[in-house]
Amino acid sequence: MLENSLTLDRREAIKYMALACGLVLSASSLNLLAASLLKPTDLNRRKLKLLSADQLLVLRELGEVIIPTTDSPGAITAGVHDFINGYAAHCLSKEEQHQLVSTLDKIANAAKTHQKIAFDKLSVDQKVELLTQIEQAKSPFTEQDRKDLKQVKALVVFAYYTSEAGATKELAYLAIPGGYKGNFKFNAVGKAWALSQ
Amino acid sequence: MSNNIYIAKAQPVFDAIVVGSGISGGWAAKELCEKGLKTLIVERGRPVEHRKDYVGEGVKPWDMPFHGKIEKKLIDEEYAVQQKCYAFIDATKHFFMNDKDYPYVTPKNKPFDWIRGNQFGGKSLLWHRQSYRWSAHDFLSNAQDGHGVDWPIRYQDLEKWYEHVEVHAGISGSYEQNEILPDSKFLPPFEMNIVEKEMKARIEKKWSTRKLYIGRTAHLSVPAQHHIDQGRYQCQARNECQKGCSFGAYFSTQSSTLPAALKTNNLTIATNSIVHSVIYDPKTNRATGVRVIDTETLETREYFAKMIFLCASTLGTTQIMLNSVSEHFPTGIANSPGALGHYLMDHLYGSGASGIVEGFEEEYYSGRRPTALVMPRFRNHNEKTTKFLRGYFLTAQATREGWENVGTRDGFGTDFKAAIRSAGGWRFGFGGSGEMLPRYENQVSLHPTLKDKWGLPQLYIECDYSDNDMKMLHDIADTAAEMLEDIGLKDVTKYVRALSGWNPGLSIHEMGTARMGKDAKTSVLNGWNQTHDVPNLFVTDGACMSSCASQNPSLTYMALTARAASYAVEQLKLGKI
Repeated sequence: MLENSLTLDRREAIKYMALACGLVLSASSLNLLAASLLKPTDLNRRKLKLLSADQLLVLRELGEVIIPTTDSPGAITAGVHDFINGYAAHCLSKEEQHQLVSTLDKIANAAKTHQKIAFDKLSVDQKVELLTQIEQAKSPFTEQDRKDLKQVKALVVFAYYTSEAGATKELAYLAIPGGYKGNFKFNAVGKAWALSQ
Repeated sequence: MSNNIYIAKAQPVFDAIVVGSGISGGWAAKELCEKGLKTLIVERGRPVEHRKDYVGEGVKPWDMPFHGKIEKKLIDEEYAVQQKCYAFIDATKHFFMNDKDYPYVTPKNKPFDWIRGNQFGGKSLLWHRQSYRWSAHDFLSNAQDGHGVDWPIRYQDLEKWYEHVEVHAGISGSYEQNEILPDSKFLPPFEMNIVEKEMKARIEKKWSTRKLYIGRTAHLSVPAQHHIDQGRYQCQARNECQKGCSFGAYFSTQSSTLPAALKTNNLTIATNSIVHSVIYDPKTNRATGVRVIDTETLETREYFAKMIFLCASTLGTTQIMLNSVSEHFPTGIANSPGALGHYLMDHLYGSGASGIVEGFEEEYYSGRRPTALVMPRFRNHNEKTTKFLRGYFLTAQATREGWENVGTRDGFGTDFKAAIRSAGGWRFGFGGSGEMLPRYENQVSLHPTLKDKWGLPQLYIECDYSDNDMKMLHDIADTAAEMLEDIGLKDVTKYVRALSGWNPGLSIHEMGTARMGKDAKTSVLNGWNQTHDVPNLFVTDGACMSSCASQNPSLTYMALTARAASYAVEQLKLGKI
């Protein structure tokens, strides 16, 4: 299903591109441009998961603290935690996987030790307070804890801004710019581009 | 492309065989076909058809299973070297060679990153497309400082061929009349953004010797009628290039040289055919054909022709020549000079500096431009140094930082999210491209025992940076950083990545190993890219280069190839080959 709709999307997109750039083309040459695109064959590769239910819950809540719901979806709606769960299982090294898991465990333990309550049950302010302490490496947290948290943050940021919600709702997503404009006011788009130069 | 142009079995003798279908091979085939020669392209990789086989094109990041990243296991096991290439992502990985299937060897202390394509179209699908003529100075550098052998040709010999290939391929750029970086025949230039214009003004005010131009790139900024007639369209600034471009907006074999060659009805293609060696006839002193291994059936077969163009990539070509041994040529065909495999070069990349440009928060840009800016060489041109020989040019670019850059700064929540949405500050930076000296000891040979799965000897590559190279890499970083500070940038940082994993090869401008030169006793090729030893054997890819200048080389391969093809056809008609 996904692959069929994807191929259709890409064909339509390419036709649209041709029209958008003002090319005067016959219907047959438009079809030629879009006709014979092959399907990607390997899009269903994400099978494994890395995290336990508890770890996934911490990641889910942590993501939403970093990127909350505002006028656009937050990390939970964007599916950041589920993406990272599969991504980490397939794309991270053993050391990186270990670092992710132990960081999530550490956050869970810190909540239990200092606030006497599970991380996901903390108020947003309490979550921010705890994470800020870690990020600032304030005792008892160390410089290593800070670095570990930054690694998770980088994963959350990557997962979110490459998600459909992050790229298209939060930022400005333009698959087919039609050319490069060097003299362009920020206000004309009002948001950063999702795809960088 | 219709199926009947693909063949497996040999036919009677072709007029010409072209080994390889990348930038050089595509040009050789086009030129030979257009001059009436029945031409066979022999390609090691699989067929890739324009548009249809660009399976990564237009797939949105969130539709890819890992948003564009690739499984670690797959990378580690099959693409351990290729993964170092900036263009190696989920949507392009099928255009890179599998390192496991095609291993090569280096000494432990001399790593070499050999980035390779493996399909019809070769690296023409994957290239970075920046296109610069060499200058008259570049063809004189070996003669002037005594490193390498004097080029048998000069800029004037190539000038009209540059124009010939530029008009067909489509090169965008601005006319600047600077002898150190001669103008091409241009399509209109891409735009500079407002910060880049400001940086240009500040720099050119301060240094009369340093100029900043928009980069020159093989993209149809505005297609000419003959491009439209070829089925090519205007560049949409999508930055999908290496996935394949259905618009044919950048030059590739598929978009540009193949359609021209097909139009003649003189072209035949054999894909999945690894050339084992060139067949040599000592009685006539001619190359008579190639021995091929079928990658799918492992069968061997032979193809025959009146002349052979080797365009199998710099090291691919030399590997074939080294493996083409006979009683007459015990160390490789056309290697009586003993230079085959030696004088390997790559450009000196990975050094530079960048800094923060204050202000301009109201300004932005739209689109992902397929080029940057270029600062033509000043070092050892109009600004001399005694620290090292030769010089470099710089590329430059101003962009606003995106989520990739600012995503791990401190903070959480609404403010953190809002700061990313409102775009980061402007950064401007330089990266260098330096000229590596040609040295005998930077070399490749066939490994005496190790073979690949097709039974071919693995290439043994020995290449490292010289003292001159390292001094230049440091000068690039130092000079770039000083310049950025002098024009008022903040938090300037510099880098020399050769110290941390930017190995020779990774610039993907490997050149030399079958060099051109006037003397048949010291060089493999003459001034027509013809082997001194065997008159009907030509080499027109990067292997032919006697020095490497600092400019991106592909445009020069195109011009050399077109020139050599013209000469070869004349010689054939005169009965001399």
